[in-house]
Amino acid sequence: MWETWLWAWCPKESQKADEYLREIQELGQLTQAVQQCIEAAGHEHQPDMQKSLLRVGLEGRAGQGWEGGGMDSWGSSLCCPLALLRRLPLETSIPMRVRRVLTARGDGEQGKYRYKQLTIQVLLDRYGKPRAGATLPPLSTPSHSLLYPLAIQICEYLRLPEVQGVSRILAHWACYKVQQKDVSDEDVARAINQKLGDTPGVSYSDIAARAYGCGRTELAIKLLEYEPRSGEQVPLLLKMKRSKLALSKAIESGDTDLVFTVLLHLKNELNRGDFFMTLRNQPMALSLYRQFCKHQELETLKDLYNQDDNHQELGSFHIRASYAAEERIEGRVAALQTAADAFYKAKNEFAAKATEDQMRLLRLQRRLEDELGGQFLDLSLHDTATTLILGGHNKRAEQLARDFRIPDKRLWWLKLTALADLEDWEELEKFSKSKKSPIGYLPFVEICMKQHNKYEAKKYASRVGPEQKVKALLLVGDVAQAADVAIEHRNEAELSLVLSHCTGATDGATADKIQRARAQAQKK
Amino acid sequence: MAAHLSYGRVNLNVLREAVRRELREFLDKCAGSKAIVWDEYLTGPFGLIAQYSLLKEHEVEKMFTLKGNRLPAADVKNIIFFVRPRLELMDIIAENVLSEDRRGPARDFHILFVPRRSLLCEQRLKDLGVLGSFIHREEYSLDLIPFDGDLLSMESESAFKECYLEGDQTSLYHAAKGLMTLQALYGTIPQIFGKGECARQVANMMIRMKREFTGSQNSIFPVFDNLLLLDRNVDLLTPLATQLTYEGLIDEIYGIQNSYVKLPPEKFAPKKQGDGGKDLPTEAKKLQLNSAEELYAEIRDKNFNAVGSVLSKKAKVISAAFEERHNAKTVGEIKQFVSQLPHMQAARGSLANHTSIAELIKDVTTSEDFFDKLTVEQEFMSGIDTDKVNNYIEDCIAQKHPLIKVLRLVCLQSVCNSGLKQKVLDYYKREILQTYGYEHILTLHNLEKAGLLKPQPGGRNNYPTIRKTLRLWMDDVNEQNPTDISYVYSGYAPLSVRLAQLLSRPGWRSIEEVLRILPGPHFEERQPLPTGLQKKRQPGENRVTLIFFLGGVTFAEIAALRFLSQLEDGGTEYVIATTKLMNGTSWIEALMERPF
Repeated sequence: MWETWLWAWCPKESQKADEYLREIQELGQLTQAVQQCIEAAGHEHQPDMQKSLLRVGLEGRAGQGWEGGGMDSWGSSLCCPLALLRRLPLETSIPMRVRRVLTARGDGEQGKYRYKQLTIQVLLDRYGKPRAGATLPPLSTPSHSLLYPLAIQICEYLRLPEVQGVSRILAHWACYKVQQKDVSDEDVARAINQKLGDTPGVSYSDIAARAYGCGRTELAIKLLEYEPRSGEQVPLLLKMKRSKLALSKAIESGDTDLVFTVLLHLKNELNRGDFFMTLRNQPMALSLYRQFCKHQELETLKDLYNQDDNHQELGSFHIRASYAAEERIEGRVAALQTAADAFYKAKNEFAAKATEDQMRLLRLQRRLEDELGGQFLDLSLHDTATTLILGGHNKRAEQLARDFRIPDKRLWWLKLTALADLEDWEELEKFSKSKKSPIGYLPFVEICMKQHNKYEAKKYASRVGPEQKVKALLLVGDVAQAADVAIEHRNEAELSLVLSHCTGATDGATADKIQRARAQAQKK
Repeated sequence: MAAHLSYGRVNLNVLREAVRRELREFLDKCAGSKAIVWDEYLTGPFGLIAQYSLLKEHEVEKMFTLKGNRLPAADVKNIIFFVRPRLELMDIIAENVLSEDRRGPARDFHILFVPRRSLLCEQRLKDLGVLGSFIHREEYSLDLIPFDGDLLSMESESAFKECYLEGDQTSLYHAAKGLMTLQALYGTIPQIFGKGECARQVANMMIRMKREFTGSQNSIFPVFDNLLLLDRNVDLLTPLATQLTYEGLIDEIYGIQNSYVKLPPEKFAPKKQGDGGKDLPTEAKKLQLNSAEELYAEIRDKNFNAVGSVLSKKAKVISAAFEERHNAKTVGEIKQFVSQLPHMQAARGSLANHTSIAELIKDVTTSEDFFDKLTVEQEFMSGIDTDKVNNYIEDCIAQKHPLIKVLRLVCLQSVCNSGLKQKVLDYYKREILQTYGYEHILTLHNLEKAGLLKPQPGGRNNYPTIRKTLRLWMDDVNEQNPTDISYVYSGYAPLSVRLAQLLSRPGWRSIEEVLRILPGPHFEERQPLPTGLQKKRQPGENRVTLIFFLGGVTFAEIAALRFLSQLEDGGTEYVIATTKLMNGTSWIEALMERPF
């Protein structure tokens, strides 16, 4: 309010100004008015306007008989910029009265000496920086507020980079501002943001820390809203016990480590129910916490899934559990049963049925181990059947295949492979004749050749269907017959395949035959 | 020196030097002799930044692998732990420190967190009562590691799983940080494009981080014209297919780790006559693969079918060069020949190595099974029979081929059909569980969560639309002299790279419909530059695009991008960044879960 008011009448006649000023004084709000006036001057880039604002401020100050540190401390801290002031161009000059004050104070030996000693940085800091500590540092006495705009002017004049100059001063100013207890949090925060904006190098979290130090938590939170660096926001929020806010800030940042840090804080701070509820509203945090639990607190993971009715994941959880701790078969089956139940609840019938099959298989494997000896537990169904055949228990293998509905094709592959491994050629032949092979007879040829049994392979080669006949004949090394079949098929691809198998010395005649057939085919 | 990093349009040696400097500065902070205790995972990536000689110059005398109990004895003043910020590693470190305290002279302990300090970890160290033992606790922001002149990787194996399965964005945060580092070195990137959820988040974090840095105005002239952020889950298809470039096949078959490959030694045995093959080397042959090797740079991105002819041509050139010695008559000529000898010998060694590798690969690619697998893949990608149970896959399961191979194929079929019919899906799943074990139900869940394996929603298959609009399948592919990126998969043009290509010309507006089908938002952001830094492109000067694959990239995709960079009228050159260099196998591997 004061800002606009003063704004309005500043450039006007000073007579009138004085009247207003008296009025304000009577209202007992001069201090504030003066400060705001000076702040406004800091905002203002027009020298004229700045001059007027500063003038009003100073007049008010002089008229009031300043409280706080009093004229003395005010003056002593003013002495240093003197030399600078002298260098400021005329158009940015400050009213004579200020000059006079400054001159009076600063012309002394001590003042000059001090200025010489100070680098510009120190100079600015001295006039801007509130010192840490519970008591209000001298700098933040109202008398000092005059120096902020001045310091800014100096910076601009000296063309200091923003980060070193203006930003520092603005930050210092803001730290001073948060200590004005009579201004509402809302207003202070807004005023600070208006002035500071996104000025590079300004740390809102420092200012907020200062506000918090003065017991103004709400203001600190408001100020933190302007802090773009979450790494700075979050620790302070935690310190102020605003963990939930800290959590959403951490999530916004994408920095998962920060999120974890807040989560562990929250976990200690809240009771379990509240903690879970908080997680529930933050999916990203929830998934991170799940990851944490997966490695650190398995039981909590289960509780989390339970809370969310995530039956699918619960099912997987119990599957894992069935492998983890339990040695005894009963314990494992029980864990699997829980998993299957969860899968049913998740309407994942496939997984439920598969898990029940697994339970069945486990029990069976235990029985097989008891009855037949050997190792069956944790073999796959396929390998269990293979092991049975290798052990000569064909009947049991067939029973197993029926019980678990192993598809015919795969069963044939399985038996074929196992019997060939055993080199039980008699049994293999019997098997091949048990019915028409669902996988054809080429695999029989291949597997016999793999075991280097050409004699057996040839038996099956004759039974291979026409489509794969050439391939089969070539496998058993019967190039001539392969050529005949290929010629009969009039299949160019097959002809070239046979030709590629013709070795110069022995298959010369065959090769010629193929070439002739080709030539003939081309004629037609 | 790492000269191969400075060949490209953007000198990535600048980045390497910057991170080396940071490392030296840290080492010098810990004055006196040192031992480094390594988080084993970091040694590979670190090797690309600093050799042991650099560490030695800074008084690193011993190196250990981080493990429990006591540290091995070492007479050094400082013990430095180089670790990723992981809780389980903190426990080990605490164990080390506590057992160390009880004996002998006091040491100075330090921790270097890579790539970021972690409050969580420090809290754990505090809880374990050892935090105070550390003098320096710092972070080493090694986010993006330069692998080659146009290639950066974070080598974060778990990034895809964390992002898409576990909702953990840590790697995205690191990616954003890495991009900020790049911008600090190479200037603000004026334009950011993106497609996908993770891309959106990384862009948001970058914009946010930029706000945090206001104040330090970046006054570097921008090297990159734009950034394209791509989610891996926008293109789940490409990594599943078998890569058919030379480098891609080396990676598929032998696995390239931190630019090194280990090969079976037999083919590399020195050919000595009369040795009768007695002392065959048993240790794997380890080779570094990057563009520092001239021949490799030439053939790495070619379709494997085009590599043979280059190798035989090279062989002729080299033997001709060696024949020159017979023509060298005068002392001057001989001198000149001798001066060229080292270079020629290096070229001959390189040729011998790659001829051996090519033979090894050829043994695989000419096998019948490889051919059958490729045929099935190509059928799926061109849209043939994707909606029913595939015979070949069935046979693979029945013969218990490696599970990862089966999973890759099933996932490929699912992706090429926008999900499988419930009946087909359940059949595959049942077959897999029965054959490989019920424990793999967890792996199958993971694949479903990642969207790699799923039931088709509402019986609609979007893939044909995507395939046709983006021209993903090209029938007339030229493997020898390619005219299109589809050469890297002999017919299939990687979707991700097609998106990049279309973005550069004519722009994504032309494919709005397809972009809407693909998951996640697509967006564009601008980062304003001060007027002095705005670039005026010379006529004919190419744009430089940094393309960042969030969740991994394959060598075939990299080859396709390099192909686009080299096109005469392409207009865009690419620098590629990723969370991990990967292939279908390592990708699926990372998604697998083995409960025992």
